[in-house]
Amino acid sequence: MELIDRYVHEVGEHLPRRLRADVQTELRSLLLDAVEEQAREAGHPADGELAKKVLREFGTPQEVAARYAPSPQHLIGPRLFPAYRTAVGIMALVVAALLLAFSVVGILKTIRNPEEAVTLGSAFGVLGKILYTALFNFGLLTLVFAVVEQVQQHREITGKAWDPAALPPVEDPDRVSLPGRVFGLYAILAFAILFNFYPEWVAIFGITPGLGVWHWPLLRPEFKMYLPLLNLWWALAFAFNLIVLRQGRWRQETRWAEFALGLVAIGILVMVILGPPVFRFDQIVKLVLIVALIGKGMESAGRLYRLLRRPAHTIWTSAETESPDPPQN
Amino acid sequence: MAFQTSCLLTYCVAHCIVRGMVSSEAQTALRENLSLEFRRGALVLAVLSQLHEEQYGYSLKKLLAGRGLEIDEGTLYPLLRRLEAQGLLRSRWRVEDGRPRRYYRASPLGEQLHRELGADWRALARAMEQLLG
Repeated sequence: MELIDRYVHEVGEHLPRRLRADVQTELRSLLLDAVEEQAREAGHPADGELAKKVLREFGTPQEVAARYAPSPQHLIGPRLFPAYRTAVGIMALVVAALLLAFSVVGILKTIRNPEEAVTLGSAFGVLGKILYTALFNFGLLTLVFAVVEQVQQHREITGKAWDPAALPPVEDPDRVSLPGRVFGLYAILAFAILFNFYPEWVAIFGITPGLGVWHWPLLRPEFKMYLPLLNLWWALAFAFNLIVLRQGRWRQETRWAEFALGLVAIGILVMVILGPPVFRFDQIVKLVLIVALIGKGMESAGRLYRLLRRPAHTIWTSAETESPDPPQN
Repeated sequence: MAFQTSCLLTYCVAHCIVRGMVSSEAQTALRENLSLEFRRGALVLAVLSQLHEEQYGYSLKKLLAGRGLEIDEGTLYPLLRRLEAQGLLRSRWRVEDGRPRRYYRASPLGEQLHRELGADWRALARAMEQLLG
């Protein structure tokens, strides 16, 4: 029957090559058996209408082929997909930030010097490069996750008994991270000393055969006008970190103070970006600062959202819940 | 004003009817999905139980239907392939009336699993009888 042949052919198109011939042969014979049976029951010879009825009951070729497929076919499986989706989301944010930064710089440049306005051609050129980079990274990310998926699928299931003692401890979101805070103190001191006493070392470094190690200082002398403000911010941040370390746990007041410090940092970044040129390669450095500003802005927005959504989280351990009433905050 | 009120009323009534229809369709789809879920586990055991002797796909379908288990071809035939790939069935081609047919039969592993799954099924059925009252 021509209709059955077309159906069987279509199912085969959606099957792996190694299964195709075998499944098609079996499927054809099964369908012919079904049509003949229905023709006997109907009391007339098999015809196109009966064949259509049987094929409709069977299902679309794609559905049937999917059921014959040896195992669930996916590039990135359910276990890895949440991590993949997060990674793609982060990458999309970075691309969006870059596009926004590019737009802001273009607008600022046009406002300052209308004769040096960003042309449509150059705008499309940069846009194309950003999108190309985004697509390339998306493909690379997908490839990495697909490889990890395939490797995990081939790993044998050992069937070891699950050990509850191996569970990680419950993280206390209010506990201050000692390494994080200590590193923060170190970084603040390092930046303060660097920018105040060794500004020439804020530079791009390189090695060239024949020339040896070279460096291009990034800061112009005009940068000194921001030092008092930066020193104030570093002093505040240093003191804040010390207080938080001493308390050992985050509280509402310290979380709000952290948010306020973030706003101060944003204010300083905006001032530097909009201010006169104080860097060599000023536009490039300011582009980087714009990206930092966007990141800082998103971080502060996230902090504010969490602060407004609920108060400081309290973890009740089993020791605290021995009494019938919950512990008072 | 009367026209606007009647339009609003008509919209509200239509919205409720459509919501009701969608809700009823969603319920039917949910019921069918859940029914399919617990039938799916039973199908493997049903197939193994009838393959102590050779059967080909269509004859097995008729055999199961004759014993009260309707199963559509689109589910049964791929299932036979999958069970064969898992080592529970063996198959061979036979040509009858000029038509090649693939005959299946339970392998020793399939027979063993049939006994074990059958015991699990009976235990489950007893537990469900108690739960459902």
